[in-house]
Amino acid sequence: MSEIKVGSAALPPTNEPLRVAVRRLRWFKVAFQGFVEATGRDLGCAFDIDDAKLAAAFMRWLNAIEMQKPSDKSQRKNFFEFAAALMLRELTTDMPVMAKGPATLADPGSAAAFWPEGYCLTMFCLSVHTAAMAQEFHAQTIVDPAIDDLRHWWSFKENSMHDAGFSAGFLQMLLGNQPNWIMPDVFRARIQSDLEAK
Amino acid sequence: MPDVSRETFTLPDAMPLREALRGLRFFLRRGGETIVETLNVDALPKPASNIAGAVLREAGEVARSVDELTSGMAKSVLGGLSSTTTPLQLLIGKPNAAAEFSGAVYVSLSAVLRHLGAPTVLISEAAARATYVKLAAPAMDAAVEIRAAALTLGLLGARVLRGTTAQQAALVPGGALEAVSIFAVMLWLQSARSEDENETALVAASDMAVALAPEIAQAVSQNDADRIAALYRKYVPHV
Repeated sequence: MSEIKVGSAALPPTNEPLRVAVRRLRWFKVAFQGFVEATGRDLGCAFDIDDAKLAAAFMRWLNAIEMQKPSDKSQRKNFFEFAAALMLRELTTDMPVMAKGPATLADPGSAAAFWPEGYCLTMFCLSVHTAAMAQEFHAQTIVDPAIDDLRHWWSFKENSMHDAGFSAGFLQMLLGNQPNWIMPDVFRARIQSDLEAK
Repeated sequence: MPDVSRETFTLPDAMPLREALRGLRFFLRRGGETIVETLNVDALPKPASNIAGAVLREAGEVARSVDELTSGMAKSVLGGLSSTTTPLQLLIGKPNAAAEFSGAVYVSLSAVLRHLGAPTVLISEAAARATYVKLAAPAMDAAVEIRAAALTLGLLGARVLRGTTAQQAALVPGGALEAVSIFAVMLWLQSARSEDENETALVAASDMAVALAPEIAQAVSQNDADRIAALYRKYVPHV
């Protein structure tokens, strides 16, 4: 289990279930801004946020969820996890954050120092996912030790620049799953892989 | 002598005067911008450049004074407008719905245009009110998104926004400013929101409208109310 702490406590309060609130841009934006600001403080580097890119990523994420949502209710929990992977895919497509400088407070050999923007977006998705899973399923999220391995982050950065779909696979891997690397952002492909593995 | 205290005194509708003052303020602001953009005083030979510069400065001072006067009058003498948190569905049934709708459209459109980087566009509260009277009341039984779509096309047709051609918003592709900003306001107006969330909801609706700009522009250019209603149906819960 990784020592990296997922900051779901930093998410803004809401009277609605988190699964509903996160699909409202007003909440999503406040949550994202707050998380990015807090991460910037922890890392010792401020981030610029591009609101137009953030909104575009959010809208594509809504559409992706709608398109891939399974009708089989037994897949609900798996799809929750997959929704976080799709969120990271859409965020890394547009990269709505940009570090204003190096992460001066981060360990020089850490993922945060290597790629502050990628680290920030990944941790945001993990944080939202952790909070939603706890609320909906009373499930604790355990992040795979791979998160501490810089080689995975190097691969994530290189590959996601060519194909943002890779980001979806990266997040699934961090959540302890074996992604379908041929189609890491297709939920049906993941179900097929899971069935074949059994 | 009649007992004055027992007489019912109805305040006159201040909206037409407010509209006139806003028109005057817009004319002064836009006129000043046009003169400054058009005249290159420095290129004139002396003493003509000195004289022209002095005249422009004087004219600018006069325009600023009148601008401040009209802004002040519109706000203090005629009463400022406030935004609303009532969703469109509930607003339509209220007794003073037309005035509340047009006031909300004016206030929220002003905020949206500022957010989109186009602050000096003229907004007609009177046109918004006339559009509501014409379209909203007769369609009482229709679904709210269908009424909203009809109002969207109606507001565009009534030219609630004027002077957009002279100002391109930084965030919106050329020519889509009117449709995108009116769509944003109608999207926001349909969303459930508390007073605390009112402003963030409006900004969120604006950002969503910018992201949807190509689809909105296409639906509006084809006068496709069904398509606009479908966009509202899909995205109102996500504001």
